[in-house]
Amino acid sequence: MESKLPSPQYNYTVVRQFTIMTVVWGIVGMAVGVLIAAQLVWPALNLDLPWTSFGRLRPLHTNAVIFAFGGSALIGSSFFVVQRTCQAPLISNALAAFVFWGWQLVILLAAITLPLGMTSAKEYAELEWPIDILITVVWVAYAVVFFGTIMKRRSHHIYVANWFYGAFIITIAVLHIVNSLSIPVTLTKSYSVYAGAVDAMIQWWYGHNAVGFFLTAGFLGMMYYFVPKQAERPVYSYRLSIVHFWALVSVYIWAGPHHLHYTALPDWAQSLGMVMSLILLAPSWGGMINGIMTLSGAWHKLRDDPILRFLIVSLSFYGMSTFEGPMMSIKTVNSLSHYTDWTIGHVHSGALGWVAMISIGMIYHLVPVLYNKAKMYSIPAISVHFWLSTIGTVLYIASMWVNGIVQGLMWRAYNSDGSLTYSFAESVVASHPGYLVRFLGGSMFLIGMLIMAWNVWMTIRKEQTESTSAAVEATA
Amino acid sequence: MATFTSNPLGFLFKTRAQWQAVGALADSEYTSKLLYPIIFALGPCIAWYYGASKIGWRVGDGELVLLTPESALHIVVAFYVAMLGSLAVIGYFIHWMAETYGSNSSIVKGIVVASYTATPLFIAGLIGFFPIFWLDFLIGILSLGWAVYLLYVGIPEVMRIPQERGFLYASAVVGICMVIFMALMGGVVILWDMGLAPVFVDA
Repeated sequence: MESKLPSPQYNYTVVRQFTIMTVVWGIVGMAVGVLIAAQLVWPALNLDLPWTSFGRLRPLHTNAVIFAFGGSALIGSSFFVVQRTCQAPLISNALAAFVFWGWQLVILLAAITLPLGMTSAKEYAELEWPIDILITVVWVAYAVVFFGTIMKRRSHHIYVANWFYGAFIITIAVLHIVNSLSIPVTLTKSYSVYAGAVDAMIQWWYGHNAVGFFLTAGFLGMMYYFVPKQAERPVYSYRLSIVHFWALVSVYIWAGPHHLHYTALPDWAQSLGMVMSLILLAPSWGGMINGIMTLSGAWHKLRDDPILRFLIVSLSFYGMSTFEGPMMSIKTVNSLSHYTDWTIGHVHSGALGWVAMISIGMIYHLVPVLYNKAKMYSIPAISVHFWLSTIGTVLYIASMWVNGIVQGLMWRAYNSDGSLTYSFAESVVASHPGYLVRFLGGSMFLIGMLIMAWNVWMTIRKEQTESTSAAVEATA
Repeated sequence: MATFTSNPLGFLFKTRAQWQAVGALADSEYTSKLLYPIIFALGPCIAWYYGASKIGWRVGDGELVLLTPESALHIVVAFYVAMLGSLAVIGYFIHWMAETYGSNSSIVKGIVVASYTATPLFIAGLIGFFPIFWLDFLIGILSLGWAVYLLYVGIPEVMRIPQERGFLYASAVVGICMVIFMALMGGVVILWDMGLAPVFVDA
């Protein structure tokens, strides 16, 4: 930890592979997202082909950004963090390589099967049973490498980042296995073992905790390593990190029913989900406060460190979306917001603002470390990327808020004779300007990702000798 | 009397100088500036009352949508209260965080800073006289961008702290604004459910 140069026995190969694929899958997944956003503005882009239609590309987008981009970022960074904080190399390089190639195979299979229309029809768990089994095998291998390394650690203490990564690994395993239980009919078609409202409840227990543990706990693990590292300051309150860890893992798991307000789910279960979602604000904000207070002491570094800006803004969006979520789980609010674009806006304030931004900060921190360079090839390019991402995210969220409110209001408007004031198609027409703005915001975010890819490529490629990096330092 | 309010156009065209002037004020002088939001927040209310109850709008090629004058009045009164309430809360938080970022402030000063920052929104709110959905949407986003820009320029000047620290301070304020905005959205929906829903004129 103390030495500046990485210890040679650490396995950085698998971390490098995952980091590069994070960039690649980020671009692929977001490009598909921009494409389907464009399809909502200009429906002709569906091309009248089944495999390029919105309905098939949308799960491709969600799977690519969550599991390919987010998954690569999480697995890669966790392998880095667990080695550095435990001061021990991974227990098995072969198994780590299997995790990498296995995960890439899963992604590839998803990219083939989803456009072909092979789906279990469970949101965020669309992949069919043979791929589900492959995921389970890869995930267990991942858990063995991660926890095995912790068991062989040379430092006495298990740093808090590993707690979050560990909770993420265990819970995702449980969620994936329980929700994916199904009866195969053919190689490419299966039916869930659960029926009716139970199936819905299991699905959203899975769905919400994919958010809670994949997109929150995992990335909090990332935050707890890279924020103090980049700010060169210790975590603001270690005690707070432990308290909000236990609060987060014990409360999140109950929040799923808020996806099923006013459905066939028993009313008490809906209310319980709502109450638990409201309580969830406290542990969520514990993480935000800890991160922001850690960064706040490093304000003097902000001038020449756009990476810090990514981390700060990601924590702000995290705080915002974890306030928005509990509010949207209130039944009264949900009756308006559910099924509208407000939900999509909420997801993206978390996905773009929090998950993607903290991953981008992680990549900019990690690439020079992994490739033995003094710093990224272009610091101004990071600044440009920062502004593109921030403005793009704000455009995205704002347009979806407006669309969501408009849709919610139009759907519930009725005339004095009780008939509906608007047809559904009229609300689609009213959403058109918002879709255009969302497309622009998403495009800006994607352009930022392309700039990052170029920057990463140049950083890796460039023969940065000591003298040239010193010269860069002098002119900066 | 000229010190009652500041020239709103100054914030649009001579941003930095205007903020420096605000920052140079003595603490006691901020109180009179509270009239600024109280007066300027009226503009959007009048505009939207007129636009929603007299002019109306169309969705696609549908029928003209109008609110009854009574319903529009209830809503703009709530809108006025919400605007001033939000500014007060944001102002309180600006004051509350001042010490963390190495400045000093008062609640009144915080509210005044928040109100001046909202200048583009007060002006853009006049678009209510022209309730055309895509136009209002565009103007709304542009003015919001301008307000955020004003905040980032203004905070270091008016709080007299270094740029980098001001950036963090302003970012924290933006975070709080977003949270308050969402609390407002949630509050509005709950109010609608409790009987303050817009009442439309049946064509």
